[in-house]
Amino acid sequence: MNDFEPKILAFLCNWCSYVAADAAGVSRLQQRPNVRIIRVFCSGMVDPSYVFKAFSLGADGVLVAGCHPGDCHYISGNIKALRRSFLLKNLLIELGQEKGRFRLEWIAASEPQRYVKVIEQMVEEVRQLGPNPRRRSQQSA
Amino acid sequence: MPKKKKIAVYSATGCRGCDQALMDIHYQVGSLTRGAEMVFWPYLLGSQWKDLEDQTELEVCFFSGAIRTEGDLQAALKLRQKSRLLIACGACAAYGGLPGLFNLNFIQGRGEREEKKEPGIPKRPEEGLVPPLPQLESKISALPQVVETDYLVPGCAPRQNFLWAAIQAFIYEGESSQRLSFSAFRLPENIAQAVVSGIRPPQGSIFSGDKAVCASCSRTKEKKQFQQFNRSWEKNPEPGRCLLEQGFFCQGIVTREGCGGLCTAVGLPCRGCFGKTDEVFDPGPKMISAVSSTIDSADPATLSAMADQFVDLAGTIYRYTLASQCALLV
Repeated sequence: MNDFEPKILAFLCNWCSYVAADAAGVSRLQQRPNVRIIRVFCSGMVDPSYVFKAFSLGADGVLVAGCHPGDCHYISGNIKALRRSFLLKNLLIELGQEKGRFRLEWIAASEPQRYVKVIEQMVEEVRQLGPNPRRRSQQSA
Repeated sequence: MPKKKKIAVYSATGCRGCDQALMDIHYQVGSLTRGAEMVFWPYLLGSQWKDLEDQTELEVCFFSGAIRTEGDLQAALKLRQKSRLLIACGACAAYGGLPGLFNLNFIQGRGEREEKKEPGIPKRPEEGLVPPLPQLESKISALPQVVETDYLVPGCAPRQNFLWAAIQAFIYEGESSQRLSFSAFRLPENIAQAVVSGIRPPQGSIFSGDKAVCASCSRTKEKKQFQQFNRSWEKNPEPGRCLLEQGFFCQGIVTREGCGGLCTAVGLPCRGCFGKTDEVFDPGPKMISAVSSTIDSADPATLSAMADQFVDLAGTIYRYTLASQCALLV
């Protein structure tokens, strides 16, 4: 095992995923400490620019989580996030951010276990990938 | 008539289209020499490096082309040292331009070139047979990334009116009465007023509009979505309708205005040669947001298949701006 601890920025939607994260804390589920959470009102408001800015400032992974399709508080915000995610993933890969660093997940308010599992999976996956390539190149320069 | 101002025009790594553009300023080209004395213009006058070193001070330097070779860098430093005003002329000097796409090679997984000091050269030819290739910089830069640059005139090539506006502002300082309206055309109000009244625009001004190309595009948006992505040779665009909504990858929405929507008017999707607008953090994600919102589907499998239709996203979106405006590579 390497001792690299990834930093993951999580954009959680106010109505589902943030509630799930909250519930995970309240029910004292054991969690990874690698996540920095930003609460947003809807996963649909997470502009791809936010994700780019996070990576450009050195985040090792970015998670966007929202309600399951059909459950969005704003009817179709999460579908907008879904539409953007595919091209965004492709562009990130072309610019050197490996597959797996960006993730879009649906986590309902009643799924704190799922929240914990998603974070755990993502932390392990990003740990395998290593630090953000931008930070690597800055260190070697 | 006040004393003529000494000016220099230099092209680093580029196509020399900007030198051509400087001579393509309509009838004004005849009056150019009335206010300016060209002391260093290798492309037009065949000037040598010595001609530049002989000068103590130059008034204005129009610098075009990206910084790729050791020579480009030396020229940029020397011209900065000698000139009172250094103007990045064209997309290559201002943003890195097409040569800047080379920086994609520094991304891991894109070939093994990243460790080499002299990227892109297969093998040095034998001494004596071929003139030696110039020493290359490890990364391609735009002019503002290597020296302090006073003004930018973007575009590939720059539009005549903006070049003429720059010439008027810095060489005639408002004393030429010729075609003031032509030069002030499409400039933001503060720059236009400065140019017309003979004072220098604020340092760092960009000689172009400040809105997006959509503001001056002749096509209309209808909030329609497409199901098939097209490259510009695959389909004839319908006249009058927004290109983005017809499935073309038109970058007008993130690109600075100033061209007046020339390309989009004849059915060519905007390629972004004026660089991003001030409101945009990075053209890449903004463009993705714009294109995705016009895709007509909510099914993950369809969306994924459509996303894979887009070939070379990075090279398309950052065609002119990779070296300086891509947040992940700067």
